[in-house]
Amino acid sequence: MLRNSFQTRIASVLVLLLLVVIAALYVAVQTATSAAVRAQAREQLEVGSLVFQQLLEVRGRQLHDAVQVLAADFGFKEALASDDRDTIRSALANHGARINAAAVMMLDLDGSLEVSTEPQISGAIAQRLSEQVMQRQREGVTIFLMPIAERIYLLVQTSVNAPLPIARVMMGFVVDQAFAAELRELTHLDLTLVASQQGQADIWISTLSEPQRLQLQASLSSATFDQVQRLAEQQYLGLQLSLAEGEGFAVQALLHKSLTQAEQAFAGLDRDILLIALAALLASLGGALLLARNVSQPVQQLAAVAERVGQGDYQVAIAMQRSDELGSLAKALQSMQTGIAERERQLAHNALHDALTGLPNRTLALERLGSAITAGRRTALLHLGIGNFRAVNDSLGQEGGDLALQQLGRRLQAALRPGDSLARLIADEFLLQLDNCDSDSAVAIADKLQQLLLKPLHIGTQDVILDCRFGIAAFPGDGDNPEDLLRRAGIAMQDAAQQPGRMQLYQRGRDDARQRQMLLIRDLRRAPESGELLLHYQPKLDIASGRVRQAEALLRWQHPQLGMVSPGEFIPLAEHTGSIQALTAWVIEEVMRQLAEWAERDLRVQVSLNISTADLIDPQLPQRVAQLLGQYQVPAEQLIFEVTESGVMLNPKLALQVLQDLRASGIGLSVDDFGTGYSSLTQLKRMPVQELKIDQSFIRELDEASEDAVIVRSTIDMSHSLGLKVVAEGVEYERSLSLLQHWQCDTAQGYLISRPLAAQAFESWLGQYHEAANREVHS
Amino acid sequence: MSMSVFRALWLGLLVLAAPSLWAASLQAELVDSAGQPLGSAVISLQGPLGEAPQAAPGLMDQRAQQFVPHVLAVRTGTAVSFPNSDDIRHHVYSFSPAKRFELRLYKGTPSAPVLFDTPGVVVLGCNIHDWMLGYVYVTDDPWFAVSDEQGRVQLDALPPGRYRVSLWHPKLADMLSQPGGELQLGEGLSTQRYSLAVQAAVAAPGSAPKSSFGDAFKQARDAAQ
Repeated sequence: MLRNSFQTRIASVLVLLLLVVIAALYVAVQTATSAAVRAQAREQLEVGSLVFQQLLEVRGRQLHDAVQVLAADFGFKEALASDDRDTIRSALANHGARINAAAVMMLDLDGSLEVSTEPQISGAIAQRLSEQVMQRQREGVTIFLMPIAERIYLLVQTSVNAPLPIARVMMGFVVDQAFAAELRELTHLDLTLVASQQGQADIWISTLSEPQRLQLQASLSSATFDQVQRLAEQQYLGLQLSLAEGEGFAVQALLHKSLTQAEQAFAGLDRDILLIALAALLASLGGALLLARNVSQPVQQLAAVAERVGQGDYQVAIAMQRSDELGSLAKALQSMQTGIAERERQLAHNALHDALTGLPNRTLALERLGSAITAGRRTALLHLGIGNFRAVNDSLGQEGGDLALQQLGRRLQAALRPGDSLARLIADEFLLQLDNCDSDSAVAIADKLQQLLLKPLHIGTQDVILDCRFGIAAFPGDGDNPEDLLRRAGIAMQDAAQQPGRMQLYQRGRDDARQRQMLLIRDLRRAPESGELLLHYQPKLDIASGRVRQAEALLRWQHPQLGMVSPGEFIPLAEHTGSIQALTAWVIEEVMRQLAEWAERDLRVQVSLNISTADLIDPQLPQRVAQLLGQYQVPAEQLIFEVTESGVMLNPKLALQVLQDLRASGIGLSVDDFGTGYSSLTQLKRMPVQELKIDQSFIRELDEASEDAVIVRSTIDMSHSLGLKVVAEGVEYERSLSLLQHWQCDTAQGYLISRPLAAQAFESWLGQYHEAANREVHS
Repeated sequence: MSMSVFRALWLGLLVLAAPSLWAASLQAELVDSAGQPLGSAVISLQGPLGEAPQAAPGLMDQRAQQFVPHVLAVRTGTAVSFPNSDDIRHHVYSFSPAKRFELRLYKGTPSAPVLFDTPGVVVLGCNIHDWMLGYVYVTDDPWFAVSDEQGRVQLDALPPGRYRVSLWHPKLADMLSQPGGELQLGEGLSTQRYSLAVQAAVAAPGSAPKSSFGDAFKQARDAAQ
């Protein structure tokens, strides 16, 4: 359709143009030839009229000469003088015969006809003749035309002088059909002579055909003479001559030139023009179609290529060897195709690959895993995470971290078996997909990799050892879809952080635990506002005095669905997810509120509470605490903040500053869980603490002979020498308490004294305990 | 040359008239209708009977292919000789009713003079020289004379008395003489002036024969253009 319309348009425009040109040419030629024909005809008419005139004049002169000779003939004069009519007539006839004159006449000086060789000339005709002769005589004309009877005569008169004029003689030629034919012979013009006489039929002499003559006769009589006349299918250009006019008669000559015949000469030209026009039309039509085809076919071809490119096929070969614009269009299309293919490949690569390491990304990893599952191949996933990546980033900077990841990627890649693949999932997590591999083989491979990764990475001038953990999940054992497998490997990796080998196979059910964790993490954020949190207070016994003046506030979470959640479960979650600070803040305020409430009832208790690592590096903490102290009118001395050594270690400078600020406001500081971490006396010495809590793991099974006893006893001694009070946690047996008392430990805390109690219960318990103690003292 | 011929003739006449010196003389001036002097005009007088002069023989010479004189006036019954002074031949003829004659080709003087015995105008021609034209005016009047180129004419030795005057010129209509009225002549010289109904000759152009339709052709061609 497109091709057709394009072709048709080109062809019709060309043909239309050509038609206009041909039409203009034809009209121009027609006009020119018509004008030429007319001009030529007019010229021929003029020439013809000259010839006609010459012919008449020549005849006239011939007559004139003859009549002169006759008039000068002495014998003739003598004959005239003799007045013998017969003699005169014979003499006239004799001279007339010499030049084939049709009539010879003698007239006397007043014009009356005396003798004539033509018997028809007599009577009225003779009278008219003599009048004409005299008229001509007066005009000085000697040669003239006149109709006489049924013929037209060319007449010449002269006088006979002896030596004065004694008579006139006149000779006449008949102007007849032969004369007209002769003129036609000479000029190729048709001649019509018309003589009208009063009272007599007109005389017509013509070389035209009879019907034409009749038509002409009709038209002449009806109207004035028209230059162009149509006579029996022929057009004539005419010239009218009034040759003679007199009383009662007239002689007219009409010269005709046939325009139709003249135009016939150009008929060939017309035919030629028509032929040329036809040929040009056909040629241009053909040319236009060829041209259009020549253009439209490649365009069609290119359109098809473009369509296929649009559908994503970039391998279309464009077979077009042309040097014109279409050729360059084809070349452009070809290079466009290559460019699109290249860019699309790049885009696809970017979509499925990690920009930093060039490794496949999570999407591609899932896809590959999916295809392995679909194929039913046994596959193991190693989910690799870096425990200390944040620290590496901090010490090496972002660029150093990136370099470390790149090196790690290369190292892992180098260690892969054929068929295995490596992907980078997110920042510091990689995934190895091990083909034809079960969990046991995966563990072996992970172990090998673990060894490999113990070698430090060289980042610039520094050596870095990454704390890599591996979570392992395998298909089909641990799941049958890529997402589950990946998630479970991830869970295993998280769990691996707690394992000494930093490696964990996915444990069935861990998924549920994870779900619970997710729930807890989500709900933990709004727990402080929704009143699900509460504090339990565990009494701390002053061993020396046997009195209880202190308690540790312990956070409890009453989850609306899950019920009471153990702090051991949600505190680490809060620490990981960053909501621990909100919890701490709530705890601090709740403790102060409680202390204020108890103070109203005259109950003074020193409460210790736990400050998280994240709180320790919050420079705003001392200020907020001071504000709350003011708000609740609680003396700072009633508060003890328990911190862990490791918490201080994370950012010692900032943490020490915070501690010192807190201490400056009068709050007591205690080192919690002493002995579990990398305890450093130097560090301990720098911390502005007044108390040290020995971890319950040392106290619970305390026995005089155990290793713990040595540690506990020396810790108590060391602390005392440092000026620190010592609190023992987890005291469950009387025996342990006795030992602690013996070792002069300052404070004991544990189930032996009391489990953690709600505020109300603690208040009651404390009342009863002091009552009993008092009774004991008094008794 | 013709002047000297006229003068000789004039002298001759004077000689002839000498005896009657006592008589009257007429000096006339002939003019045409425009008042111009008219030569070759004839004046003739019909006077008192008797005393008529003797008719002298006439002479019509042919010189330089012309008749000399152009007009010769003679009294009826005069014999006129036609000498040929040219060295070529002439063929003198006349078809005039007053005198038809023909002197076939001749040289010198022909044998016999021609007698003009009828009054009238005799037109002379030469058959071989068409332009030669001469007139012999034959009159019954006893006194006559032909005017010279100044139109002057003088008649002497006229008996005093009353005369009837006739005037003639070749160009008078139909060549008929024109009456000049009556004239009373006394002794001595009389002077008269006569006007003839003759118009000054217009030289006819000797052109080619003229046709009546030449203009028609020209007009038609002009119109066509």
